[in-house]
Amino acid sequence: MTFLIKKERKIKSFEITPEKAYLNRRNLIKSIGILATSTPMSSVLADNHETNKANLKFIKNSEFSTKEQVNSFEEITTYNNFYEFGLGKSDPYRYSGNFKPKPWAVSVTGEADNIGTFSYEDIVASNQLEERIYRLRCVEAWSMVIPWVGISLRDFIKKFKPNSKAKYVSFESIFRPSEMPGQKRRILDWPYIEGLTIEEATHPLSFLAVGLYGRELANQNGAPLRLVLPWKYGFKSIKSIVKISFRERIPKTTWNLAAPNEYGFYANVNPKVDHPRWSQARERRIGSGLFTSKQPTLMFNGYAEQVSDLYRTIDLRKNF
Amino acid sequence: MKNTVRLIVFISLIPFINLSLKTLGVYGGLGANPVETIIHTTGDWGLRILIVTLLLTPLVYYSDIAFFRHFPKPIGLVAFFYTLMHFLSYALIDQSGDIKIIIVDIIQTPYLIVGWAGFLCLLFVGVASQKRLQPWFNKNRSTISSIVYTSAILAVWHYFWQAKTVEIEALIYIATISVLLLWRLRISTARNKGKRS
Repeated sequence: MTFLIKKERKIKSFEITPEKAYLNRRNLIKSIGILATSTPMSSVLADNHETNKANLKFIKNSEFSTKEQVNSFEEITTYNNFYEFGLGKSDPYRYSGNFKPKPWAVSVTGEADNIGTFSYEDIVASNQLEERIYRLRCVEAWSMVIPWVGISLRDFIKKFKPNSKAKYVSFESIFRPSEMPGQKRRILDWPYIEGLTIEEATHPLSFLAVGLYGRELANQNGAPLRLVLPWKYGFKSIKSIVKISFRERIPKTTWNLAAPNEYGFYANVNPKVDHPRWSQARERRIGSGLFTSKQPTLMFNGYAEQVSDLYRTIDLRKNF
Repeated sequence: MKNTVRLIVFISLIPFINLSLKTLGVYGGLGANPVETIIHTTGDWGLRILIVTLLLTPLVYYSDIAFFRHFPKPIGLVAFFYTLMHFLSYALIDQSGDIKIIIVDIIQTPYLIVGWAGFLCLLFVGVASQKRLQPWFNKNRSTISSIVYTSAILAVWHYFWQAKTVEIEALIYIATISVLLLWRLRISTARNKGKRS
């Protein structure tokens, strides 16, 4: 197990191509001499529900990608906050096996000219997929580096032609308690809702992910499509989106409703503004090793150069 | 008798042995965030065993079985041991043993102040239970017991306060400690009344 984790970390995401994975698997099976009908690779991923995800075709966006060490697939898929599947970090990995991300459709409503319902296949087929390696900073003071595959949210949103009244965009997750055991309890006010200003949503860094490590998103990572907003705390990056709505007024978002003094609408990563119950000055990088110190958290999670213009006129202490 | 106590102590140390073996990589692993796993496991068991210690008092009180009298102290010490490991893993691993950082972190983080206070309570009881201080310890049983109760309240508060949402486990602990506390207060009021008459 440990051996496999280490091996995985050394492989850069760009080295994982469909052909190579295919060949490696064949070689491995050949060398051990077992039948192709057995499942030798499944021991790595006990539940196996992420291994049946299809490979994606994409280009690499090096302009927006960090060169930092990427977290392993195992780390990214076994350590998640996705309360729809339970409160524990490994609950999404354990209990998302029954979730069916296909077929899937997203309904787009509100202040836009081109509203309607769009299937997942349409969305993926009509947009250029690209890989972006982003830092992710959780509000709980841990972080990862993740190779997402997806669509520029800016390009995606433009197609709906939002009108001048569209000042905000809200996003809604699916509510399906029969497949999402965490939704059987009212841990949060389901369905999960998040929101952005239209300027934030159309910022070049904003991303709609459909994949991870070159393959379709695993259920526990927000399949089939989710937001990725690297300069904001992770909870803003809403998962399993079924509804997008252009609005004139600021949307009421889930965590902000649950604890308004702890989770603001903006939720930008900011080492100078602490969570009322803990410091945000430092973070633990997942995979950095047991005796590695926490590292300092950067303003806007290190994306200050790109996004600070968005907040020039805003008091970030009040609008946390 | 001694062997039974030893066996119970050993059983209560199984989660620690399990965690140690996982840490050393004998089997399994600590997951994606090993530091968090160590801190949470030691903390969880410290609190659970502390509550077990409190549950032993009514057991001794209502049953005439002298047998149970031998348990509260060793089990309480196990709870202290877990809490000590909890604190040490936070201080030495999570904060890399940097005393300045630790002090600032505790002061800035309300749930850490509460947890630290609970730890000091248990530390006091742990020290007082040592052989040399036994006569004092035995004379001040009720003081000791109130300090243990205080530490349990602080520990559960610490646990409840660090979570992002209300967890069922925290609610169970809060309910158990509340019932025990009410029972304890009723007993001591009854005792005081008895003294007076």
